[in-house]
Amino acid sequence: MNLIIDLTKILFIFTLTMGVFAPILGWVERKQSALMQDRIGANRADIFGFTLIGLFHPLADAIKLITKEDFIPQGANKIMHTIAPFISLVPPLIAFAVIPFGGEYIINGRKISLVIADLDVGLLYIFAFASLAIYGPVIAGWASNNNWSLLGALRASAQMISYEVAMGLTVIGVFMVYGSLKLTEIGAGQEEFFKWGIFLQPLGFFMFLTSALAENKRIPFDVAEGESEIVAGYFLEYSGMKFIMFYMAEYIEIITISGIVTTLFFGGWHIPFISTNALISFFSLLLGDTLANIITMIIHIGVFFTKVIFFIWLQMTIRWTVPRFRYDQIMKLGWKILLPLSLLNILVTGIVILLT
Amino acid sequence: MAIGILKIKRKGKMTFWERIYIPEILRGIAITSCHFFINLLGFIPHILFNNERKIFTLYYPEERVKYPDAYRGRPVLVLGDNGVEKCVACGLCEKMCPALCISIQPGETKLSKERYPEGFTIDQARCIVCGFCEEVCPKEAILMSQDIEIANYNRKEILYKKEDLLVPEKDLRMRQGFVRGAFARWKY
Amino acid sequence: MEILAFYILGVGAVVTAIVTVIHRNPVASALHLILTMVFLAGIFVLLNAHFMAVIQIMVYAGAIMVLFVFVIMLLNLQGEKWPPMTWKKLLVSFIGILLVGYCVIKIPGIFKGSILPMATQVTEDFGTTKVVGRRLFTDFLLPFEVTSILLLSAIIGAVILAKMKINKG
Repeated sequence: MNLIIDLTKILFIFTLTMGVFAPILGWVERKQSALMQDRIGANRADIFGFTLIGLFHPLADAIKLITKEDFIPQGANKIMHTIAPFISLVPPLIAFAVIPFGGEYIINGRKISLVIADLDVGLLYIFAFASLAIYGPVIAGWASNNNWSLLGALRASAQMISYEVAMGLTVIGVFMVYGSLKLTEIGAGQEEFFKWGIFLQPLGFFMFLTSALAENKRIPFDVAEGESEIVAGYFLEYSGMKFIMFYMAEYIEIITISGIVTTLFFGGWHIPFISTNALISFFSLLLGDTLANIITMIIHIGVFFTKVIFFIWLQMTIRWTVPRFRYDQIMKLGWKILLPLSLLNILVTGIVILLT
Repeated sequence: MAIGILKIKRKGKMTFWERIYIPEILRGIAITSCHFFINLLGFIPHILFNNERKIFTLYYPEERVKYPDAYRGRPVLVLGDNGVEKCVACGLCEKMCPALCISIQPGETKLSKERYPEGFTIDQARCIVCGFCEEVCPKEAILMSQDIEIANYNRKEILYKKEDLLVPEKDLRMRQGFVRGAFARWKY
Repeated sequence: MEILAFYILGVGAVVTAIVTVIHRNPVASALHLILTMVFLAGIFVLLNAHFMAVIQIMVYAGAIMVLFVFVIMLLNLQGEKWPPMTWKKLLVSFIGILLVGYCVIKIPGIFKGSILPMATQVTEDFGTTKVVGRRLFTDFLLPFEVTSILLLSAIIGAVILAKMKINKG
C-alpha cells in the first residue's frame, strides 16, 4: 500500500513537471514575452483550424525537434556528447523529490504526507544535486569540440560554483529560524501568515532568488549562453532531441526553484490566515472526516501550485525585463556582495534568535 | 524639418538608490508586468469601449503594411496604356546594373519607338534592389514595385522573363509620380 | 534488499575506481572518479549516514571534481598511449601483482578468528544532521576549528597567489 502511494506521488510529480509544465513553459515563455512587448506571440500552429491561442506550438516544436537530424560534430566525443543532456536533465528532476507539495492528511486512518522523500538532510539534498548539475554544461561544452562551447562551459561552471556557495549560505538563515533542514518541517512552521519566510528572512529571499536564477543561467546571468558573445555557449553543437533536453532541464529547474522558494519563503501549501485544522474541521462538519481531509489535500495542492505558477511567472518576467550582466559583474555580485551579505544575514539572524 | 543634434545628459555616477539595483529592477518589472496585464486583459476595454489595442503585430499574409512610395521592391517593366511595353531596349539599365542581373535582347518593331526588347530577363536572385535601373531609364519604362515576395524553391523560377516583369502602368502611378518628383530636382 | 543494494554500489564503486586508473582518456577517468564518489555516497546512505552522503556528493563530486575536470579539459590532454613494455617494467609489475595478491589472500585469514565489534548502540537519530552537528561542535570542536583555520589560510594563500603581479624582466 505504501509502495502504491509512493509511486502515485512520484508519477504525479513526474507527469506534472515533465508532461505538463516543461512543454507548456516553452509556450508560456513565448506568449508572455509577446504580451510584455505589445506583440501577439505564437498563434499559428493549428489542428483542423483550431489554434487554441497557440497551445499547439509545443507539440509542433516537439515533432519538429524529434524529426530533426541528430548532429554530432567531427572530432567530438560521441559518448560524452550524448550523455551530457541527460546529465543536465536529471538533477533538477530528482531535486523535486524532497519538496513537499502538501501537508499531512489522515485518509482512512492512514497518514499521508505529500512529499516523495522526507529526508532528514532535506535541502542539502537539493544542493547536492544542484552541484551535480554543473557536469551537464561542462561535459556538453567539452565534448562538442568547439571553442565557443568550451568557453560557455567554462563560464557556466565558474558561475554555478560561485553562486552555489552564496545560495547555500543564504538559506542557513531559514534553517536557523525554523530549526530544521527538513522541508516538510519548514513548511509546517509557516502555518501562520506572519511566520512566512519572507517576513522572517526578507534579505534571504532576495538573495536566494538571485542566486537561484544565477544557478539556472537564465537571462540576467546567461553569459554561459550569451548568444551575442559566444553564439550559444555549451549547447551550440546540439540539435534535435538533445537540444530540447537542455531546454527541458532549464524549465524543470525553473519549476524546482519556484517550488523551493514557495516552501522556504512563501508558506508552502498554506493559505494565508486559514490554518489547516480550521479547513479540515470546516469541511468535516459537512462531509465527514475522510472526505474533508481529501478536499483539504486537493485545496493545498492547488494552493502550492498556484504559488509555484506565480514564481514561474516572476522568473519569466525577470528574464524578459533585465538585461544581461557582464561576466565580471556576475562574479562581483556573487563573491563580493551576496557572500558577505549572506554571512551578515546569518549573524543577524543568530543574534535575534539568541535575544528572543 | 531642420536636423539638429540632440544632446543627452548622461549622469557620470549612479545614485545610491540606483546602485542598490533591486528597487530599479522592481521598477522595471513593474513596467513590463503592467504591459503584460494590460495586454492580457486588453480585450475587455477593446470590447467595451471599442478602444484600439496596443498590439502592433499584423497577421502578415492576411494583413499587410502599406509601404511608402519611396520603397523599392523588385524592379518591373511598365506596360503602357496601349498594351505595349514602354521599354525601347536602349540597354542603359543593362550597362548600369551593378549586379549585372539584367540582360536584354533588342529587336526591331514597326511602332514609332522602332526598337523593343525581344527578351528582357532580370535575375532576381542577383538583383540588389538598388534602383539604378529606374534612375537611368530615359523612358520611365522600368520602375521599382512594392512587391517583395520573391522567395522561391528553385533558381530557374526566380529568373524573371519579360512576361513575369510586365505590369500595367495604372498600378504604378504612385511610384511614377514619386520618381518624377524625386528626379526633377536634378534637371535631367 | 539492503545486501543487494550494497553489492551493486560496492561493485560499482570498485569498477569505476579501476576504470579511473586504467582509462586512457583523462576526462573519462575524472568522470569515473565522480561516479565512484556517487557510489560511495550511496554506501553512506545504506549506513544510515544521510548527512555524510549528501556532503560527499556536494563537496567531492560537486565542487572538487569540477575543478579537476576543468584543469584536465583546459589542458586539453589527449588519450595516453601505453608506454613500451620493457623487461624491467614487466618484472616490477609482476612482483607488484604477486604482493597485492598475497595481501588479498591473507585478509580473510586475519579476520577469521576475531569477532568484529558490531554497531549495537546505534540510536534512532544516528547520522542525522542534528547529531552530527552536535558531535562536531562539542566533542570535536578543536579539530573542527583547526580545520577551518587551515582552510581559511589556504583561501588567503590562493588569493595572494592570484593577486601576485609577475615581474617581467
